[in-house]
Amino acid sequence: MSIEKGKISCQQLLFLFAGFIEGSALLIDFTVGITEHQTWMVILAGLIISTPVILSYAVLAKKFPGMNLVQINDMVYGRFLGKIISIYYIFFFSMTLSFNIRDVGELYITFLMQDTPFIFFLIVFTVTCAYAVIKGIEVLTRISHLILVIGLFAVISTFILLIDQMDFSNFLPFFELPFIKIFQGIHIVSMIPFGETVVFLMIMGCLNKSEHAVKNTFFGLLIGAASLLIVAVRNTAVLGKTQTIWTSASFQAIRLINIGTVLTRMDFLIGIALTILMFFKCSIFLYVMVVAVSQLFGLKTYEPLVLPLAAIEVIIAATVFQSPVDHAMITQNAGIIYSAPLVFVIPPLSLLIAKIRGLPKLERGKET
Amino acid sequence: MIFLLLIYAYIFIINVPGLIKRKEWKELAAFSFLFVIAFALGIMYVLDIPIPSPMKGLQHFFVDILGIEYPK
Repeated sequence: MSIEKGKISCQQLLFLFAGFIEGSALLIDFTVGITEHQTWMVILAGLIISTPVILSYAVLAKKFPGMNLVQINDMVYGRFLGKIISIYYIFFFSMTLSFNIRDVGELYITFLMQDTPFIFFLIVFTVTCAYAVIKGIEVLTRISHLILVIGLFAVISTFILLIDQMDFSNFLPFFELPFIKIFQGIHIVSMIPFGETVVFLMIMGCLNKSEHAVKNTFFGLLIGAASLLIVAVRNTAVLGKTQTIWTSASFQAIRLINIGTVLTRMDFLIGIALTILMFFKCSIFLYVMVVAVSQLFGLKTYEPLVLPLAAIEVIIAATVFQSPVDHAMITQNAGIIYSAPLVFVIPPLSLLIAKIRGLPKLERGKET
Repeated sequence: MIFLLLIYAYIFIINVPGLIKRKEWKELAAFSFLFVIAFALGIMYVLDIPIPSPMKGLQHFFVDILGIEYPK
């Protein structure tokens, strides 16, 4: 039995997907340090590689209607192995959520409010996410279109306002970097903004009709990827080679907006937009983690677990890395390696096993 | 420290009476388990006791033990 009683439509899934990927606009900086001016190529390549895998999530969810990832794992791999795989997924959700919460804290402490204690941002932000999660998935999906519009507005408006400072020769020369750097960049992009969408396997079970799930997943992915591409092009065109030396290239680029000395200091507005996007992404992550843990324990409701798990996440976020450099270094290696099987291997494998074993019809046949 | 205790007391008060009233014992057990972990981590953080980072462990496992690492 699924824990979530709320239902979402396929159209809302599109908004959720696009808004979720847009929430990673800050995180492309992990790639920038490695792929420099070729980041836009890496995003495109990452999109091409990730698309079939992400579409397989939608096909898997369509095959197991009304079921979330933990239930699918139990059915496909059996109770014991399924539970182990689900715990692996919960660890991934927990770690990724703590990184994202930490990113918000680092953004504020570095660029916006340097004198405020770091833990304060983490607590306030996580409590807000917990409040949204307690309200349920329906409430989050209801605001998804608004989040998407805010994200698109922030990305497109900053691009237009920075056009006069863009130098497109910054993109040259093409194919200058060694292959291993490009490969690492593609690995990061396909894991961090795109691969994280594996969380939707916990949400797609709430779809009221799943006919258009694959199509809407695809369009949501395209909108999110287009936003990331615009951000990468903007940063490279404006900052050039210097984009690799900043903690957040996006923020540094936005700080350069100066239209007739009237429109300046836009970074605060964009900081708010980025916070809203990150709030949306972290709320989805927290929701997914709480539902997964509740499903694993076989509970009837997930609400009592929201605050204890949010408290754990705050402490993990505060202590998991010592500095932004430490954060980037570990994410660029262990962070993307340990999560690769969860994103690229297990869901397509589950689909294959389900096809071979004729699931879930066979199981239903057994029940009746 | 007082701030931390107030936060945890609040989390406890808004959850536990309802769970007991509705006789949701399984939910209460899961809540208590996670609450104890969260409280222990909170105390460790406030008292500056080092909390082991799972990501550091993974980095050590992949890089130092398995030797899987992207070249710098």
